[in-house]
Amino acid sequence: MNALRARLRAQRADPNIVRIHRKQALVAVLTRRLHIIKITLFLVGYLWMAAIPSPRLGRGTYIDENALGPGQVNTYWNWGDVANADRYLEQLEGLRDNNATSEERADFLMTEFLKLGIPASTQNYVFTSSAGNVQGTNAYAVLSSPRTSGTEAMVISASWISRTGEGDGTLNLRGVSTVLALANFLKKYSLWAKDLVFVISDNYVDGMQAWLSAYHGAIQSNLQADELELASGVIWTALNIDYPGHSFSHLGIFHEGINGRLPNQDLLNSFQQISKWTGGVPVLVYDHQDSPQTDIPSWIPSAYHEEIRAYAYQSKNVLRHLGYQARGRGSGVHGLFHQFRIDAFTMFGLPATGPHGFHAIGRIVESTLRTTNNLLERLHASFFFYILTTPERFLKIGSFLPSAVLISVAMMFGGLRIWSDCAWIPDLSDKKEAGPDKWIQRSRPVIPVLGIMLSTYMLGVVLFSAITTSWFINNQTVASTLLLIVVSTIPLCALLIPSQDASRAAPISQLLKALNLCFASTVISIITVVNFSLAMSLAILLGIPLSISSPSKTLSLRLAKFAPYIGLALGWICASDELRKALWDWEILGVWFAPFVCIVYTPLVLQAGLVCLLPL
Amino acid sequence: MLVVSFPHLLLFLFSWTWGILATTPSHEEIVGEFFNQNAHAGSSTSNHTNNWAVLVCSSRYWFNYRHMANALGMYRTVKRLGIPDSNIILMLADDAACNSRNRFPGSVYANPGRGLDLYGDNIEVDYRGYEVTVENFIRVLTGRMEPSVPRSKRLLTDARSNIFVYMTGHGGNEFLKFQDNEEISAFDIADAFEQMWQKKRYNEILFMIDTCQANTMYSKFYSPNILATGSAKLDQNSYSYENDNDIGVSVIDRFTHYILEYMEQINKTSHESMADLFASYDPAKIHSDPGVRADLFGRPLNEVRITDFFGGVSQVEVGNGGDGEARASPSGTTEEENSSSEERPAVAVNASQAQQKVAPPSRPAKWRMTRAWGGVLLLGVLVGWVGFKR
Repeated sequence: MNALRARLRAQRADPNIVRIHRKQALVAVLTRRLHIIKITLFLVGYLWMAAIPSPRLGRGTYIDENALGPGQVNTYWNWGDVANADRYLEQLEGLRDNNATSEERADFLMTEFLKLGIPASTQNYVFTSSAGNVQGTNAYAVLSSPRTSGTEAMVISASWISRTGEGDGTLNLRGVSTVLALANFLKKYSLWAKDLVFVISDNYVDGMQAWLSAYHGAIQSNLQADELELASGVIWTALNIDYPGHSFSHLGIFHEGINGRLPNQDLLNSFQQISKWTGGVPVLVYDHQDSPQTDIPSWIPSAYHEEIRAYAYQSKNVLRHLGYQARGRGSGVHGLFHQFRIDAFTMFGLPATGPHGFHAIGRIVESTLRTTNNLLERLHASFFFYILTTPERFLKIGSFLPSAVLISVAMMFGGLRIWSDCAWIPDLSDKKEAGPDKWIQRSRPVIPVLGIMLSTYMLGVVLFSAITTSWFINNQTVASTLLLIVVSTIPLCALLIPSQDASRAAPISQLLKALNLCFASTVISIITVVNFSLAMSLAILLGIPLSISSPSKTLSLRLAKFAPYIGLALGWICASDELRKALWDWEILGVWFAPFVCIVYTPLVLQAGLVCLLPL
Repeated sequence: MLVVSFPHLLLFLFSWTWGILATTPSHEEIVGEFFNQNAHAGSSTSNHTNNWAVLVCSSRYWFNYRHMANALGMYRTVKRLGIPDSNIILMLADDAACNSRNRFPGSVYANPGRGLDLYGDNIEVDYRGYEVTVENFIRVLTGRMEPSVPRSKRLLTDARSNIFVYMTGHGGNEFLKFQDNEEISAFDIADAFEQMWQKKRYNEILFMIDTCQANTMYSKFYSPNILATGSAKLDQNSYSYENDNDIGVSVIDRFTHYILEYMEQINKTSHESMADLFASYDPAKIHSDPGVRADLFGRPLNEVRITDFFGGVSQVEVGNGGDGEARASPSGTTEEENSSSEERPAVAVNASQAQQKVAPPSRPAKWRMTRAWGGVLLLGVLVGWVGFKR
């Protein structure tokens, strides 16, 4: 009786002990099922990624900033202004036919602005890069705000070369003549609360990079550019007009900036509304249309056809977005503005035989400028992290970010499991008492493992400095083969590391895998917030491969396992065009993708390869 | 001889008495009758002697153009109905007329098509821009001012003042934002009104507010003689009415628009009551449920003329000549409020006087009655004396 009472009292007595017991039980349950949890996390993460284009996820876009009031104004851009644009176009075509140089073009544009009574100037610039020099001349004009001090500004820009084919040389003549005619037209209003800055940048993106660097006083070691003679205020928004064809059927929104930055969504939503309601021009994301005649197998019930079509269209958009954002490559000239905290996008007139032209684009730009003119502070209300699945639907950060985080958590769980397993080994010395509960502790030599990891990063740095030399760019085929061979043979040194006594210290391969997984998981988690598309690509490329790396006994098996990792780590060297573009982006525009791949991604995969090479 | 003279004496006395009895009604009665001949059941029972208006637009920025237009629309109405600029405190948190985004510089319009420029020729803004703060608003109401503040920026009301307080801006449950920076709560206004009552700064107040969840703003009032109305109940938004496509923003709010529309048919001599105004509210048109709070208000609403608050009174009370001082001054000439406590009884006397003025018989009339009866008595005495003598 007393004993029973004592037990009851003991049970009730100490809540802390109860809590500790409960915690232990929970941890035990989790560790026992860790494998299943890991697989579930991977599965949910990848399925979530696959669901991003689904029309069931996401919601309709909306204007969040009260001040904008898009599409609430009458527009006065008229056929007379269209005629002006046509006249400018004739002159620009004359320049094109005479093969005018950059200076001649810029001088012509400056003169035209000056004729309108708007202060204008030109800017020469030269970029030096391993691929050779890039030079050109920008023209720009500043229309001061008639009734305020002009501490803020809006940019209306057009690049000489259109974004068609990522700047394949198609000229943006109609875009440039739109800007000139707009300058003539907008000057007549006295209601601009901000300065209007008209910029005609040379080439595709480098002209604007030079102009923006000079405008903001940003120092770039390989850029020599004239200082700007005309100054204005802080630029809040920029509209980049890209109108390469004769007419256009849709206006496409291009919004990705370099290094994965996006403009505030309010700007895009306002433009979308204005284009639709004021201009009567349908809006697209990018420059591909929704094709209604997708072949859907007949055995699928017709109720699902609409959804499948929507999924197919939206996945195209999402993939383009991933492509631009993950590579950190801006989808147009607007992408350069984002680094200076300027919200910008490109409106791309999708070349077609009709029905829209100067009349529609002029009215849309006029109304959009009235809207951005209404801003009282920088765009801040709406979203900066989003995926536009269609012009009128988007995903908030909460609906896509967890997918990559789940993968990263699964990797972290895997790494931690291996790390804690490394510290213990079943006690096999005493066979009689041997049971599942009998474990002995062993040491975990971290320093050599960190040394191996560090050397892979050093290798990445060497690789990166090698590919940024002009020697590499000029002899790309030879150089890339050479680099591929060198970088893939160096890790083979790991074969020389002798096997250790597993009862006293944990094997290096296991420790390396644990740290590799933990580090990769951390990298992915951090990148999700900065650049989701890059994080998602990393989660896909690293998630499973890093988790399944394992050492083996025989040499041939080790090498066989190592080979795919080398392919994963260094395969990009063979994509010569991509590589050249990425390097150009890095040198001229400061896009971080190339160094990131060399110094973070490749070493992580090489470490997984080393896990396979190292002794058991 | 006596016999001969007696009928003469009698005749004389009779005619004298007749003359006194038949004296025509006093001058004041004639005037009173003249002014009351048009009176009907809805006649005003207010006993205020001056009218004031405090009009507040608490939000700045170009896209809140409509709030400026709301306040200026009210300004135009009270001015048209007779409250002079000296009795109007107009607070505008921003200058929409001179905003660089205004396509029509120097003008503020409250309707698309821009028929009527509310910013016209004669605008007196007492507090503008950053001066429009919660502190200044409460100081205006309570009269707690620095000595240096000019009279034009003060609410110089007294115990016989009717005040119209109009507020518009962005608000919520029991608060109204000022300048996107600070907010005034329903309690602040209620306490300010109570302070005004205790300091005898008003006779009656009409509180009108157009903002989201406006009706919560008057829910905390506890001082007497306050009539309140708001544009939307709890959890309801108050909506804008129309926007002008050249100005590019909404130009007026619905609640204010329909009130102003109603007010356009009111003139200085209109006899419409506040009950009529409140009956004109149409939630279907306003897109929210306007509210009225009259439980603190002493008079039935159908006896409260709209001009009691929106108009400038021409009611003047003639004081007792004996004091040699006019108790209540005509509007605009009130003294600065003082904190003496003996004013309240004086007011009570004033109030009773005011009632005497309307209700006969007044004191001189009584005197005449006494004189007449005295004459009759004298006649009786004389007749008795003559008869007794015989």
